[in-house]
Amino acid sequence: MLINSTQEKIFTVSSITHHIQMMFNTDPLLHNITIIGEISNFKYHSSGHMYFVLKDDQCQIKCVMFRGNSQGLGFEPTDGINVKAKGEIRVYERRGEYQFYITQMTEAGKGALFAAFEALKEKLKKEGLFRTEIKKTIPRIPHKIAIITSPTGAAIRDIISISLRRFPNLHIIVAPAPVQGDEAANQIAENIDFLNEVLPEIDFIIIGRGGGSIEELWAFNEERLARSIFSSKIPIVSAVGHETDFTIADFVADLRAPTPSGAAEMTIPDKENLVKQLRLWQGKLNRIIRHILELKEQRFVNTIENLRYQSPKNKILQHLQTIDDLVGRLKLNLKHIININENILIKYKEKIITLSPKSILSRGYSICLKIPEKVVVKNINQVETNDKLDIVVQDGTISANVSGKEETKNDR
Amino acid sequence: MTDKKKKIEDMSFEESLKKLEEIVEELEKGELNLDEALKLYEEGMRFSDRCLEKLNETKQKVEKLTREGDRNYRTEPFSLKNSEEDSSK
Repeated sequence: MLINSTQEKIFTVSSITHHIQMMFNTDPLLHNITIIGEISNFKYHSSGHMYFVLKDDQCQIKCVMFRGNSQGLGFEPTDGINVKAKGEIRVYERRGEYQFYITQMTEAGKGALFAAFEALKEKLKKEGLFRTEIKKTIPRIPHKIAIITSPTGAAIRDIISISLRRFPNLHIIVAPAPVQGDEAANQIAENIDFLNEVLPEIDFIIIGRGGGSIEELWAFNEERLARSIFSSKIPIVSAVGHETDFTIADFVADLRAPTPSGAAEMTIPDKENLVKQLRLWQGKLNRIIRHILELKEQRFVNTIENLRYQSPKNKILQHLQTIDDLVGRLKLNLKHIININENILIKYKEKIITLSPKSILSRGYSICLKIPEKVVVKNINQVETNDKLDIVVQDGTISANVSGKEETKNDR
Repeated sequence: MTDKKKKIEDMSFEESLKKLEEIVEELEKGELNLDEALKLYEEGMRFSDRCLEKLNETKQKVEKLTREGDRNYRTEPFSLKNSEEDSSK
């Protein structure tokens, strides 16, 4: 912001810094540029970012390379080495400094080697030597492993001691080979071929060495070795230099370990852990079968209980009870039936009594019988004058003669 | 379970451990009769023994191999002490 009082141009620190920042941002020359120079005052911050300056005999420029870009760098930047760095120049406003923000960096002094490396990498990649789908798996439980490296370096000591600490009963075969110099690649390759030939039962081979300069690691960038790794039937683990070192051998190998000790950590299982894991499964198995047995036993007990309930003796007892029950009910029913019938009988008896001729006679009626046929006389035509009759009354019979007859006149 | 016919003696540690895990899972389902369950349990114990056996199969041995001609070689014990002595030369 511009404050115009006495013709002076007055800025705040921020506003002028923003302006300078703008100038840098809008200048196309400062973007996507490559600078060649020597590294100096190199600091590798614990955050993973790299801070240093690039200089030549007259000038220097502040540089920063953030972690995301510095990973996988093919070399270890140190003071004094010449590099070719790609990036852009911007202003770090908080400090009012301009800096070179590097995204890519290669060693300038090793131009020829790098070109060879890149060319071989491209060639082998095209041939399919790096394809992940053809990589062999490393057996989980190794029995016999081989290490091709210098028998006197720190690498062999690291690999052996870590391996044996993790898995004490391991068979390790050390096939010595120089790991730097003209003959190194050839010797390592020959050892790979030889082990494939005479000891094909080996679980895997670790090839590698400790850290060093690019020249010292160069054997692992040679085609002869790459070919042997590729044609090996035994899986190959490459463990070359430091985590930041990438070699052709790393790309072709079935497994890349960041360092020699890393190779042991990655490939040799911790036996104690495995045994623990196994015990865990065993315990699980035992608990489950115990649980199953308990369940089955409970079912068995229940079944026995049920069976006892279903036994013949119990059945008979049950039947007896049923019979008792039925007899009881029968008795009740019988009494009921008898009662009902008795009542009916009494009713009929009463009816019969009222209907009997005797009871009629007692009320004053009489029965007239013609003699000698003893036929009941119901009308006057049955008798003539002087016919004999018996008249039955309540308490006896009266003998009589018919003296006349007269028809009853029906005049209601 | 296509490798069911594979003999237990031929199985790797991973295969045996996988079998053991499968058996535990099968038993956990709890749908088996007693005979089947006991049979599986026995099998599981065999696989677990097999795993242990595999872990202890090898004896510790660290050897240095020296090539002698195209197909011949000899081995001698290799100790880390030696390598340190060598490296100090």
